Amino acid sequence: MLRFDRRLLLNIDWVLIVAVLVVAFIGMVNLYSSTHLYTNVGVPLYLKELTYYLIGAAIILLFISVDYRVLLTLNYPLYIAMILLLLFALVFGKTIGGAQRWINLGFFRLQPSEPAKLILVITLASYYYRKDTGKGFGLLDLAIPALLTGLPFLLIAKQPDLGTGLLLVFVFASMTMFIKLRRSTLATLLCGGLSSIPIAWKFFLKPYQRQRVETFLNPENDPLGTGYHIIQSKIAVGSGLIFGKGYTQGTQGQLDFLPERHTDFAFSVWAEEWGFFGSFILLICYFFMILWGLNIAISARDKFGVLLAFGVVSLIFWQAFINLAMVMGLLPVVGVPMPLISFGGSSLITNLAGLGLLMNIRMRRYMGTS
Amino acid sequence: MLKKRIDIAMAIIIFSAALLLTRLWYLQIYRGDEYAKLAERNRIRIQTIAAPRGNILDRNGQPIITNRPHFNVVWNREDSPNPDEVIKDLARILNEDISVLLDRIRAASENPRYMLTRLKEDIEWETMAAIENKKLSLPGVSIEVIPSRDYLFGDFASHLIGYLGEISPSELEEIRYSTYASGDQVGKQGVEKIFEEYLKGEKGRNFLEVDVHGFQQRQIQRQEPYPGNDLHLTLDIELQRAAEEAMAGKAGAVVAMEVDTGNLLVMASTPHLPLQEFSGGRILTSVWNRLLTDPLNPLLNKTIQGQYPPGSTFKIVTALAAISEGVITPDTTFFCSGGLHFGNRRYGCWKRGGHGTVNFQRALTESCDVYFYSVGQRLGVDNIAKYANSLGLGKKTGIELEHEKGGLIPSKAWKQKRLKQKWQDGETLSVAIGQGYVSTTPLQLCRMTAAVVNGGTLYRPRMVNRITAPDGKTLKTFAPVSEGKILGSANSFARIRDALVGVVNSAAGTAKVVAIPEVLIGGKTGTAQVVRLAQVAGMSEKEIPYKYRDHAWFTSFAPAEKPEIAVTVLVEHGQHGGSAAGPVARAVFKKYFELKGVIKPDPEATPPAAVPEEKEE
Repeated sequence: MLRFDRRLLLNIDWVLIVAVLVVAFIGMVNLYSSTHLYTNVGVPLYLKELTYYLIGAAIILLFISVDYRVLLTLNYPLYIAMILLLLFALVFGKTIGGAQRWINLGFFRLQPSEPAKLILVITLASYYYRKDTGKGFGLLDLAIPALLTGLPFLLIAKQPDLGTGLLLVFVFASMTMFIKLRRSTLATLLCGGLSSIPIAWKFFLKPYQRQRVETFLNPENDPLGTGYHIIQSKIAVGSGLIFGKGYTQGTQGQLDFLPERHTDFAFSVWAEEWGFFGSFILLICYFFMILWGLNIAISARDKFGVLLAFGVVSLIFWQAFINLAMVMGLLPVVGVPMPLISFGGSSLITNLAGLGLLMNIRMRRYMGTS
Repeated sequence: MLKKRIDIAMAIIIFSAALLLTRLWYLQIYRGDEYAKLAERNRIRIQTIAAPRGNILDRNGQPIITNRPHFNVVWNREDSPNPDEVIKDLARILNEDISVLLDRIRAASENPRYMLTRLKEDIEWETMAAIENKKLSLPGVSIEVIPSRDYLFGDFASHLIGYLGEISPSELEEIRYSTYASGDQVGKQGVEKIFEEYLKGEKGRNFLEVDVHGFQQRQIQRQEPYPGNDLHLTLDIELQRAAEEAMAGKAGAVVAMEVDTGNLLVMASTPHLPLQEFSGGRILTSVWNRLLTDPLNPLLNKTIQGQYPPGSTFKIVTALAAISEGVITPDTTFFCSGGLHFGNRRYGCWKRGGHGTVNFQRALTESCDVYFYSVGQRLGVDNIAKYANSLGLGKKTGIELEHEKGGLIPSKAWKQKRLKQKWQDGETLSVAIGQGYVSTTPLQLCRMTAAVVNGGTLYRPRMVNRITAPDGKTLKTFAPVSEGKILGSANSFARIRDALVGVVNSAAGTAKVVAIPEVLIGGKTGTAQVVRLAQVAGMSEKEIPYKYRDHAWFTSFAPAEKPEIAVTVLVEHGQHGGSAAGPVARAVFKKYFELKGVIKPDPEATPPAAVPEEKEE
């Protein structure tokens, strides 16, 4: 950190930067369409989002200027700070839509569950990096990362925000599968995981959450209630046809039939207005960005970089996949935003920070381990 | 090892992307049209626009009923940030109690938010101007304009024309109303109902883009409504007006018919219906109850639904039967001593002192009962019935109006069938002078009179000449419908006509009051007993309670040389055919020949005062 290596500049990952810029540009264009009719919001939302991009860019600059390995020393303080924020949100947080998710900072409403996603990735990467003996992890070795995941999961699920909570579990599962596991451990985990689903259904899910899943399985049963979101989103996406209804011309979005159209259902607005053609382009760019992230992981200079990059990639992938599957009616409505496409400061800055970590890892791929 | 895991991860990611793209293809391309339709259905609300109903015009093209814009005050609570203030202001402007408005709002509270609440119907121009001026201080209040009926001649011809009302749930289930929606106006009575399909027009449609709450965003397309077709009646509104004005204060009916076509020139039933009360589409319960309980029975169309004994007007039938059947000749005389003994009963003549020796001509002119008792005895009831039926009595005339009554012409077979009793010969005497079981409607008597004086052709009464489209093109014309020749010889028609001219024009005639110098009018008076004589015996005319007083008839035609028009008047409980019903017919004739230019309009236009006259019984 003290001496900035000029070689780093040569290794800046332009491919990732361009991919992110393209996706971000699409997100902004789409955000304008979905929010330009909103009144009574004060500052237009796309300007707000632009501000978050600037904050995010600053954070990226900050992140890439420091070797990511510093996280190995910061991971527990970060983890503790995250837990405290989640507790704070649960006790004092602002209630929006029945969930206590927000901490009001005056100028900004922080949603601590968003940075929690990235902090969990850092925490797990650090843990697995340190504990990796090369012989493979046993069941007992997984107890601590499971606990590290379980704590924020519970705090977030309690808000209640099951979608984000499950996302943490997905990220944990992905990263755990990625490290070397003993065969027996893998088998046990699979059996245990599958058998826990019915138990969770019965005891853990709140009635409204169970209803969401039931509605998802048969949305037409309840077209005006919880099935409404799914039906309207499918109509929005489907009615886009091949070339879409035209920019800002989507009827489902512009006329309010589509709920949450600038956040969770932002992709539906894009699909409605740009059709299969536009959606195809967005998905290709998006998945290129994700796959490029894997390329960064494989080229990282050390195991920590690999784990960290893989964790970030899995985080972005799962958010995008869950969101897309949800708006297309393949998964129940769980309230997971699509990174860079859905509006939301906490989510955007967190995901940009994660992308910053990827750039960081990429830049330092040729540097020796200190 | 690491490479392998990354490859697996990559495979999973690529597979996921492929899955999502397949899903996109499925939604947007494979089932895209279906979703596109759903999206259209989401955003488009179709609002119907009421079509202006067709006009109703008289035979000369004079509009009787047209449409006028009807201004309703409507309110959108979503646009009213301060509803209480707005309603308070509005109540003051409308001069309406605030509770009335609040009741309306409460009644509409279950409706979707975008639906407008109607606060007051049919406001005045001035009120509308006041609201428009204060528009800025009345957010959410607006004026809705819908076409409604404008009755240019008030309530004239009200029974014939009928009225509109909101379509009822039971009507909505009928096939003929399959294109209607609840809340639509539909003809409920009279020609408004019968010619509904021609009058109604085509509703317009407004395709509105709405948001998820149903609020209108913009108009996408508008199909203008197409006005209904115009109905050209055979009625002459001037004659109708003359008839109804002459009937002012009386309950009864006036029918005037062109004798050679069956075209109805006047169809008046009084008291008339208060059409204005129906014009808003709903009538107040209090008004309706008043109509139901009114002793003058305004809801009854007396021209076709009132069945009254025809009294002496029926002597036309008996006379026709007698001459045609040859039971008498025009020269046959009978002696009237003021009554006739038959069986163990005495049948009185209305003229207690008797008419002396009367021939056919005098018998009709002076309405001698005894003469017709004798003639009736010779004919027998079945012969009378045969001629009555041939003249269209005892059955419906076939006019298009609903709920027509047929009246009754008794016969031996009828009595056996209906009452399971044998016919008494004495009853024939009553029938011969139009009493007993006989009953007729004013329309039947008018048609009968027309047939007797037009040379023997019975026409079906008509009230519509043609129907024209809004562009003036004729869609349908209605030709006169002949129901064939009536029984009777040409000679008998001429004899009866001459005798009837005497009724109006001879010194001893019972309807001298009707005579007009310029035109020769013929007619027959009649008095229909409501109760048996015994019940009112000994009372003076004025002492008899209204409901027990006799009905007064007058059926007539003019000009006698070549009859054009037949006029029949019934005044319920009018007591004297000549003095109560006669002047009404006279007023119609006078107007008719004034319009034809035969008579100069009377500058004073005062109806002749009733002349004291001997009472018929």
